[in-house]
Amino acid sequence: MSITPCLRAAGLLTIALALSACSIGSGGGAGRNAAGQAIVASGTFVIDNIDPGSAQGGSAGKELAGQQIYGRLAKPDASGKLVPDLAEAWKPSADARSWDFTLRGGLKFSDGSPLTAEDVVASFDRLIQINGPYAANYKGVTAKAGSDTTVTFTSPAPDPALPGKLTTLFVLPSGVPADAASYFAKPVASGPFMVESFKPSAELKMVPNPNYWGGAPTVKSLTIRSIPDVAAKLAALRTGEVDVVWGVPDDQIPALRSDASLKVEAVPSNGNFTMWFNSGTPALKEAKVRRALWQAVDFGTIIKQLYPVTGQPADSPLAPTVFGYAPQTPIAYDPGAAKKALEEAGYPFDKPLRLQFGQAQFKPFLQAVVSSWAKIGVRADLLQKEQAVFIEDLLAMKWDVNFQLLGTAGYDAATNLGRLYPCAAKRTGYCNPDLDELLAKAGSATDQDERKGLYAQASRIIWDDAVGMFPMTSKVSYVWNENVSGFTLDALGYPDFSKATGSGN
Amino acid sequence: MLTLVIRRLLAGVVVLWGAATLIFLIVRVAPGDPATVLLGPDAEPAQMAALRTRLGLDRPILLQYGDYLGRTLHLDFGDSYRLATSAMDAVVSRLPATVDLTLTSAVISVLAGLLLGSAAGIRAGSGQDRIVTTLTIVLQSFPTFWIGIMLILVFALGLRLLPTSGAQSLSSLVLPAVTLSFPFTAIVARVARSGIAEAMAEPYVQTALSKGLTPREVLTGHVLRNALIPVTTVVGLQIGALLGGAVVVENVFAWPGLGTLVVESVGNRDYAVVQAATLTIAAIIVLLNLLADLLYAQLDPRIRAAS
Amino acid sequence: MTVVPAFLSGLVAARRARRRSGLVPAVVIGLYLLVAVAGPLLISYDPVRTPLEDRLLSPGAVTSSGGTAPLGTDALGRDVFAQVVYGARTSVLIGLTTVTVCLLVGVAIGCVAGYYRGWVDSVLTRLVDILQAFPGILLAIVIAGVFTPSLWVIILALSVTGWISFARVARSVVLSVRERYWVDAARLLGVRPRRLLGRHIMPFTVGPLVAMATLEFALVVLAEAGLSFLGIGLPASSVSWGQTVANGKEYLNSAWWISAAPGLALSVLVISVGLLGDTLTARYGRARSR
Repeated sequence: MSITPCLRAAGLLTIALALSACSIGSGGGAGRNAAGQAIVASGTFVIDNIDPGSAQGGSAGKELAGQQIYGRLAKPDASGKLVPDLAEAWKPSADARSWDFTLRGGLKFSDGSPLTAEDVVASFDRLIQINGPYAANYKGVTAKAGSDTTVTFTSPAPDPALPGKLTTLFVLPSGVPADAASYFAKPVASGPFMVESFKPSAELKMVPNPNYWGGAPTVKSLTIRSIPDVAAKLAALRTGEVDVVWGVPDDQIPALRSDASLKVEAVPSNGNFTMWFNSGTPALKEAKVRRALWQAVDFGTIIKQLYPVTGQPADSPLAPTVFGYAPQTPIAYDPGAAKKALEEAGYPFDKPLRLQFGQAQFKPFLQAVVSSWAKIGVRADLLQKEQAVFIEDLLAMKWDVNFQLLGTAGYDAATNLGRLYPCAAKRTGYCNPDLDELLAKAGSATDQDERKGLYAQASRIIWDDAVGMFPMTSKVSYVWNENVSGFTLDALGYPDFSKATGSGN
Repeated sequence: MLTLVIRRLLAGVVVLWGAATLIFLIVRVAPGDPATVLLGPDAEPAQMAALRTRLGLDRPILLQYGDYLGRTLHLDFGDSYRLATSAMDAVVSRLPATVDLTLTSAVISVLAGLLLGSAAGIRAGSGQDRIVTTLTIVLQSFPTFWIGIMLILVFALGLRLLPTSGAQSLSSLVLPAVTLSFPFTAIVARVARSGIAEAMAEPYVQTALSKGLTPREVLTGHVLRNALIPVTTVVGLQIGALLGGAVVVENVFAWPGLGTLVVESVGNRDYAVVQAATLTIAAIIVLLNLLADLLYAQLDPRIRAAS
Repeated sequence: MTVVPAFLSGLVAARRARRRSGLVPAVVIGLYLLVAVAGPLLISYDPVRTPLEDRLLSPGAVTSSGGTAPLGTDALGRDVFAQVVYGARTSVLIGLTTVTVCLLVGVAIGCVAGYYRGWVDSVLTRLVDILQAFPGILLAIVIAGVFTPSLWVIILALSVTGWISFARVARSVVLSVRERYWVDAARLLGVRPRRLLGRHIMPFTVGPLVAMATLEFALVVLAEAGLSFLGIGLPASSVSWGQTVANGKEYLNSAWWISAAPGLALSVLVISVGLLGDTLTARYGRARSR
């Protein structure tokens, strides 16, 4: 809703020297219908792009939009368990090298054309052809349609986590070219909603898809609007311009709780605060030193003070909702013992640790960590890096401590532990042949209980050797107007609005 | 006059070429690779190389520069690395919000500035003049981002009269526009003051005064119209400062304009959008300066004759 | 009729104020310099220490360590008053350094352009036109935003356009002075151009340049605070008014003092510098060429 038209009507532009010609407004004015039932949501992710295969734009925004517009073979439910979406069933071959998916019968795209196995294959091939960030998940994997309703994915090595990975495969009709920016102005939908209008990084407006297999949503429309400023977002929620928001900072929540017309809830995500130590740094080579540094931080107090609502002390490198999670012995805060251990190990107190991070929102937390270390004489420089530099330096190991809020794609330890901790991954400077063996075995085992056990052992090594500090599992806080209901409080900030209802304001 | 126009236009083209080159250089010298941002930490080297080729980042820098200049001539800055649009479309979609903000603010500034300037200029050297002059310095000295926050504190959170931020309704334009007009009001007031003070000393004004017209009548009847000429010029010349101020004010009020786009794109290494946005702003400034120059030349016969 | 005496006394006060107009701001600026130099010696503040149990205390509250926080504490429990004091040091340091850099660069370029005129002058004029096609803050955002944050990056970003006004002043003074007869005389006597510039021409630029430097200082301090507010330029470990104001933005509802106090300190400094600059400009003329 641009205010441009209103202004123009107000006649203010009469003084516009040459600029009046530049005022290119988009008609606008398509506000919320008086009948209500139009839901406006504003989350944490900016939607820059709705082409699910493209490398352009943040992946989280594409994911959020993709879930509303496109169907997938399977999708995770709120607890991380895979549930059927376009596919009604799937099963691996005996060696887990191939997976057969059976589609629901009679699937249709929003334009009424049938959705078949060929479309799934074409969407997969397109993803590989574009070679975007997701393509790396499917090294050597091929897809083949067996019939109109069966697809087989074959990978060169056993891949028990493949169904989880395929939750990033959104289904488009076959024939969409790899480079098709104009197509995605109004793409054909296979999910609950169809695109009505899309302004990158500002607003995505959608209407129900009448051909959705699960039945068209009952809301009149769904708008996902980006409001980066927290104060603006909450103000919009209070005035009713926005119905649902998520990712609200903890300090704002008490005031919202006292508002009777709002509902507040925080759900555990699958992401952990992950603070790797660079084991390649001479000072951090020994596990004893790394553990002592962990012990020196009063995470209990920090979490209680800074994340009273969305923080939960972690007890594993993985979040509890992830497959392969196994609780470990908590590391208690003990600055005295930490200092003693560091002194015994000959830790160089005069050399500051380079603690790098990317997003500004984590700065207070990390400042508190640095403060804890300072108490026992450990110095650390907090280095906030812009995204491109952060990733480059992360891979080049130009850091001593690295902070990330690390989620687990597909809710499976394979995409977290299996991907990041083998020696060959070269991510943490830590290399342990025993761990490598466990992870390799877990990666190819087909028996789920066996995998679980192997990941528990791996978690234990990672935790006890303090490859990093894993202080906190983060939750996502949702706040919504009470007249809206039926949407899911998704653990990753990707709520599903297909069953949402609104009773109007 | 025609030669003057042509000469100024040519100079404007040279300036824009220089501006385009400058931005190109800054962006290329900067650390951080856009391909890394797009593909994330798990990308294979081959994948990175493929993307860099597709984005044209692997070609010799001179070739990139030549290509960039050629396309810039056609207003084609390429696709945004981040948004699913061309860089120019991204700029165009944000431009109206910035234009609304700066124009509203310019209107407020001109009205308030004329009022203050008249109060000072009508009695040059008086205590009133002194107070207004001091006030203009104060207005110009306030950091706009802080004034914005204080206005939010008082009018949005305290009195609950206006929205804190965002761009959902006409009322959300009030606070950012007022904030942005603080320094600009001061500039207009100064210019108006000297224009009016000068005119008040003219013989014809003295005659009017001696005939028994009150200073106010003289002001509205004769003086103000003449003082409007330098004010119009200064509006044209200072629009750059206003657009610059808008970058900060937009951030305070979460106003979805060009300024926010530039700050976001700088952070994301979105070269194409940074180039498109800064050059659009530069082009607006060059154009308005040109218009202000020509307007001035048109109004001032001495310059017209000289050309 | 009480209006007349009131009016008269106001007039007298105004006249007296005019005579002393440079005094009050000069004293205020002196105070800031004192705080910037000596404050950190008197008040200890460690930006690294985050006593979380003291977070978001209101002004005047007693902290857990028994001290008083005269201007309250921020979201990490750090004293806001101490941040104001330490922020003064950052602002003054950046302001003085940047103005010095701009002054040296600007005067050198301005003198060269004014003395040699011809193509050198045209090229430099064109360069200035190009730089001024951007709003200064925009160029600073782009430059400071793309490089790794540090004090030098911010000084560079602010200097890129900051030298222009000095160059203008220097150039115009040189242009007018070089035509005077004693300059001609010196030239005829075989005085080298560099010496001629340094000995016979430069001294005339001092007055206007001092006035210019004062105004430029105000602009630089404002711009630095603006960049810090946007989170651009300074490393996370430094204490800056702009950063503190930005930190408090999220807490306007509950802890307004975090944003209010440093912004007020900044405003008073810039207003004082502006008033002083105005007085100096009135005395030395010329400088207000922008």
